[in-house]
Amino acid sequence: MDTRRKLDLAWLMLVLLSMGGAGIGSGDRSGLTVAVIVALVMALKLRLVSTYFLELDEAHPRIRAAVLSFCYGMPILVILTTAFGDTLARLTGALI
Amino acid sequence: MWVGIFCEITEFALLFAVFFVARAHNPEAFHAGPERLSLVAGTGYTLMLLTSGWCVARALHAMRAGQRRACLRWMLAGFVFGLGYPAIKLFELQRNFALGLDGNAGVFIVSYYYLTFTHLVHVFWGLLGMLWVIARTGFGAYTQDEHSGLEAFACYWHVTDMIWLMIFPMFYILG
Repeated sequence: MDTRRKLDLAWLMLVLLSMGGAGIGSGDRSGLTVAVIVALVMALKLRLVSTYFLELDEAHPRIRAAVLSFCYGMPILVILTTAFGDTLARLTGALI
Repeated sequence: MWVGIFCEITEFALLFAVFFVARAHNPEAFHAGPERLSLVAGTGYTLMLLTSGWCVARALHAMRAGQRRACLRWMLAGFVFGLGYPAIKLFELQRNFALGLDGNAGVFIVSYYYLTFTHLVHVFWGLLGMLWVIARTGFGAYTQDEHSGLEAFACYWHVTDMIWLMIFPMFYILG
């Protein structure tokens, strides 16, 4: 596929995912299931930007690994801190 | 360039860590938080930054194809959409202050201002950088073979965009 077409489709996907995310925000936001959906949408959007806009696949492998760990680490942290918020609060109790 | 980008990522990683800890200690405040913010404004920021990033990516593609004038047009479009971010910020701040959402409005709002103002500073640097790149493109400083300055700016702008894609759901949707 032509690079311009790929960029256009990536942008369209990002817009649709953002509108979908806003739809989640206007409904019931509670629960682990919603956190998982939000994290998956976040990861997908980050992957689209990093692949098609940032062209991360052409970067040095170490740079790619570092950026991808940030991209996937954040959605995972969203899920973990939603599921184990009490544990995190207990572990960090001394900081507060 | 990547050193600077990793500094930016590290800075926000620390701020996100503070967010997660504050959220774990104040689950009720963070659960109710998104309802206090404007989802329309949050979605507006996202669409402006994504569209601006898309324009910058198309500008880079045009430069690689040797189309300098098309590159300049895409960069100007990217700048206009990028300006949408501070414009929406003005609207949102007026709304927030009218509703009493200032620095004394609780831990969620303080976390929100801390992270989003830091991001706003990065967007301002990006907009200034974009003006510089637009000027250099207009004066013919970049060519099809040598446009590393344009590529470096594009990397910074896309990473700033990616950080917003993390901030948006955490504050406006999930809380």
